[in-house]
Amino acid sequence: MRRVLLLFMMVAGISLVLWSGWHNLRERRRAMQMQQEARVTLIPDTSNTAADSPAAQSPLRGKPAPAFTLMDLAGKKVSLSDFKGHPLVVNFWGTYCAPCKLEMPWLEEFSHKYAADGFEVVGVTYDAEVGKDTISKDAQKLGVTYPILLSDPKAEKDYLSDSEVLPMSFYVDKTGKVIEVTAGLGPKDDLEAMVKETIAAGANR
Amino acid sequence: MRRALASFALFASLAGAGANPALAQLGSMDAPAKAKSYVLYAAEQQSVPAGKRGVLELRFHLVQGYHVNSHTPKSDLLIPTALTLQPADGVKAGPLEYPAGQPFSFSFDPTDKLDVYAGDFTIKLPVVATAGAHTVDGALRYQACDHASCYPPRTLPVQVVFTAK
Repeated sequence: MRRVLLLFMMVAGISLVLWSGWHNLRERRRAMQMQQEARVTLIPDTSNTAADSPAAQSPLRGKPAPAFTLMDLAGKKVSLSDFKGHPLVVNFWGTYCAPCKLEMPWLEEFSHKYAADGFEVVGVTYDAEVGKDTISKDAQKLGVTYPILLSDPKAEKDYLSDSEVLPMSFYVDKTGKVIEVTAGLGPKDDLEAMVKETIAAGANR
Repeated sequence: MRRALASFALFASLAGAGANPALAQLGSMDAPAKAKSYVLYAAEQQSVPAGKRGVLELRFHLVQGYHVNSHTPKSDLLIPTALTLQPADGVKAGPLEYPAGQPFSFSFDPTDKLDVYAGDFTIKLPVVATAGAHTVDGALRYQACDHASCYPPRTLPVQVVFTAK
């Protein structure tokens, strides 16, 4: 009886070892598979006009631009209402964002070129936590003279929702309506065309 | 009979425990499934000679379509990719060796050349360690962009697992 029991235990033991080895292998394969799948889902949009891009998904297009009151670099409060009656670009940027820094001198150029049409630009710094000194230095280096404001959580929630993509621009016509939203850097000509559209929109109202 | 059953139970629990270290090792890998990770790292078991200088290779993978600044970006306004490591008992770590970056420019301004990592990159960690298993915890700070947009800086937890023999 004892021998039979021992034999049974040995068989059971060996089976258990084999099972645990197989189980390990299966778990490892599953983890590798999960990793592969995760990589596939993380591939970004290849176009800033893609249907699922933050710009295309923005619920603000066609809606009144959300009100904001934010500090500028001199500590002065600046509100959306200060630009009432002006075609405006609200441009979210960050000090770490290289494409933003390519775009900002273009916005500066257009702010002068279309000044006679009342066109204005306001920059909102997403990484306000880096401090005014760093932001001022960046703005100076880029030759930006339009107002640079420090973002806050409310403005980010109202304008960007959950998106963290920079640059992100909101084209607001003189009636205060958002007529276009862009995420990422596009060609300079496209940007100028949108500025012109923003000026033209609401012109006869 | 009772003794036989008890030893069977002990054997079963040991066999079960045998399965666990492998699962624990899997658990120590950084989960790549987080929606907003742009750089992936998986702990690889490595070995170095005990008491002698050895070099560990930490392999990172960038999600397709993204790049990060190299450790030495061309502008001091950009955030460099940097690994920081916590001190670990029995491990003396030398200065990290970062790979050279590759030139990159956004299509709208081909004259502005950035220095970036894309695809896979490896950071080398020279160590002198006492015999045995070691774990060094650390974090990789990076800031990712794609062809037209940038994303906020992120910190990726890194666990270096190795044995000195």
